[in-house]
Amino acid sequence: MELLTLFIIMLVILCAGLAVQWPTVRRQSLPTYPQRAPFLGGGLPDTHAWNRYHVRYYPMTLLLIAFEMEMMFMYPWAVVFVEKGMMAMMEMGMFLAILSVGIVYAWREGVFRWQ
Amino acid sequence: MIWEQLVLPTLTVLLALGIGAYAVAVLDRLIAGALGLSRAGSAWLAPLARGAWLLTQSANVTEAPDWQAWRLAPLLYLMLAAVGLALVPWSASLVATDLATSVVLWGSVEALATVVIFLHGWSANAPLALIGAYRYVALGLSYILISMFVLIGVALPAESLQFTQVVASQAELWNVIRQPLGLPLFLIVGLGVSFWGPLNLADSTDLAGGTASEVSGPPRLAWNLARAAMLVAFSGVAATVFLGGWLGPWLPGPLWLVLKMFAVLLALLLAGRLLPRLSPERCVTLMWVVLLPLSFVDLVWAGLEALL
Repeated sequence: MELLTLFIIMLVILCAGLAVQWPTVRRQSLPTYPQRAPFLGGGLPDTHAWNRYHVRYYPMTLLLIAFEMEMMFMYPWAVVFVEKGMMAMMEMGMFLAILSVGIVYAWREGVFRWQ
Repeated sequence: MIWEQLVLPTLTVLLALGIGAYAVAVLDRLIAGALGLSRAGSAWLAPLARGAWLLTQSANVTEAPDWQAWRLAPLLYLMLAAVGLALVPWSASLVATDLATSVVLWGSVEALATVVIFLHGWSANAPLALIGAYRYVALGLSYILISMFVLIGVALPAESLQFTQVVASQAELWNVIRQPLGLPLFLIVGLGVSFWGPLNLADSTDLAGGTASEVSGPPRLAWNLARAAMLVAFSGVAATVFLGGWLGPWLPGPLWLVLKMFAVLLALLLAGRLLPRLSPERCVTLMWVVLLPLSFVDLVWAGLEALL
């Protein structure tokens, strides 16, 4: 029942948001091509915006995956934590320590720099 | 039954969203006025006038944008804010959706916000909007872990991932005192998820508005509304998990929650007005090397405190 309520709330909000934009969604008046050129502070773009772009921070996204997997174990761990006591603490501490070595290594390799 | 489980929750969320977004706009203008920044018109009427003005303007168009995604992105962001607000318990019984996995769902809202904001910048097919979107992905992938560790920290003493249980576990002492590192870290996450003030990397002025640089008219109104709504949803979650939610003497529960939400909003909006914007190249290092280890410390602190 909770999920149904959530679904209905999402649907109602989507409809409300669509209603705000309705005039544009339904009938968009198109300006002339010079007006439709993307804003570049006065310059005109000579390439498509969706061309190849070097995402400099991609090694960081790989590091993130390691931690995101760890979060998956952490949700059930949080629920049984008090019951299991110090043992759960130590286990997660070791796990986090190993992952933290990864952060230190990535830091040394300059993964978080943006040049 | 239909009234209690469908209509009442939906109305609560819609009201909180509408009033909350208006309150954010008014509060931001009042703060700007108090700080002596330029302010046109009355703080109470200006947001409404601006909204009505945006509604009547024609929407800008770029060459060959991704139409569906461009119009859908503000709606999806607004929807994520609504999901966040739906999880916030107003009192022990008045909760729109009292999921046993509220913490997980809020985590997914934060993760999907990154996707939606990227979609907004990408679909315009304009270089500045796209740069804003790429910047935001770097920020979004960095703050999400901090948020998760801090939220796991509040789930430990509650022994549950349910927000109502998290509030119940704060009956003796609020988490803001029990886990002193938690709220400051979570506020940074809040600035990130609504890309407000110092963490406004996606829509910053050095990109002429970033992901929203090509957006005007009604879609711009929907986008601004969604950002304010996300701030409200975040303040609701922060008040729930750190400031004891509906708990408090004398006043009824929902009123306490609203007061605490206002306190969180005030802190965020003040930070937005007072702090300079972080440069994107420093932000990733700061998040991973300074704030993430701090969130580990917060988690260990929370764990030891829960066991004592």
